Amino acid sequence: MPPVGRTIRVVGAGTALPGPPLDTAALAGRFGMDGLWRQWVDTFIGTRTRHLALDLETGEQRQTLADLATAAARAALDRAGLSAEDVDVLVLGTATPDTLMPTAVNVVADRLRIDGVPSFQLQSGCSGAVQAIDVAAALLGSGRYRTALVLGGDVIAKHYDVTADLGALPPDELVNYVLFGDGAGAAVLTTDDVPGAPVLRAVRTRLSGLDREPGQTLRWYGLADRHKAEPPASEDYKAIEELVPALAEEVAEELLDDLGWDRDDISYLLPPQLSPVMTDKITSRLAFPLAKEVSCVADTGNTGNALLFFQLEALLADMAAPARALAVAIESSKWIQSGLALERSADG
Amino acid sequence: MAETPPDWFVEILRDELDIDVTADDLTRSLDELPGWDSVKLLTLLVALERHTGATLSLPDLLEARTLAAVHETATR
Repeated sequence: MPPVGRTIRVVGAGTALPGPPLDTAALAGRFGMDGLWRQWVDTFIGTRTRHLALDLETGEQRQTLADLATAAARAALDRAGLSAEDVDVLVLGTATPDTLMPTAVNVVADRLRIDGVPSFQLQSGCSGAVQAIDVAAALLGSGRYRTALVLGGDVIAKHYDVTADLGALPPDELVNYVLFGDGAGAAVLTTDDVPGAPVLRAVRTRLSGLDREPGQTLRWYGLADRHKAEPPASEDYKAIEELVPALAEEVAEELLDDLGWDRDDISYLLPPQLSPVMTDKITSRLAFPLAKEVSCVADTGNTGNALLFFQLEALLADMAAPARALAVAIESSKWIQSGLALERSADG
Repeated sequence: MAETPPDWFVEILRDELDIDVTADDLTRSLDELPGWDSVKLLTLLVALERHTGATLSLPDLLEARTLAAVHETATR
């Protein structure tokens, strides 16, 4: 549904990536994989580079989610021309918090010297950024708050075993090593009238998981169950490949219907960022002939909750006026359809 | 028409890919093979490299449309 009551604008976005870009040859070298494996990644995944919050040689974690999210938040606030004091509510989405408690959102708030305001953290996947924006928009729309800092990110260090024998891993675990990357992003939303900043015309998230098995499972272990045989991370990539394009198409159609917009009205499309190969397929299927595609996954890898923020950062840097942008994200653990629409009108 | 692959090839499919193939499956189009996908292809090719000691090239193998043709290309 469109956020009603107050006009909400996206006034800044920022992102952070750890370490240098790692190409597939670097991964192949670390894991002792050969040219065939690199060709397979290039052909069926398509990711050129990704960033990892760990040292690929030693496996030592170098950055935390809170480190990256704090850097992204600072960049977003800078671009918005605001400071931490202006933030009166925070919402963060992640599937991979550094610790379950304290939550990452509160660690980030602490580092930014934000206190005395409400903060929320969502346990979320590839729809997490839209979910966080949806929550923030509802809070801003209520009139209780003026400026929201929305964050999202993931760090897969604890799942990334640099000593793994990729040749011996089952397929549902193998893909995780090449698909994902670490990163965080942030956006600042406000009800202030900021000319030139795109207006959030619609945001929607919807659970679509009834009777559907999870497409992705992330487990966490404690002292009593740490020796469980179940893999900490696995995915049903076949189900993802089949379902995500159809779910994405539904979201795009519904957003257009809600807003009364035509396909040709869309100048920018921010499609789901599973992998470059999947994103290309979905973008073709969504069929927005005049839209410029805004994607990041070929360079960042799939950064989960951070993806949309990378896309928003690129969009805000490029968005002309007038222009309309549509974003779609699908979460495939228990299947969440999500999307949002932004507009810059001719007068600003 | 590709030659019938040897038993060790069928064993790799069964033991490492968890695919029980019939003789017909070996010459069936990969698109029609239940459970077949690009990740299975990679697993098979990695296993073939290990078994044969040869270095394989993916572009050549993408031309193969059946398991028998994959075997023939990989062991050529």
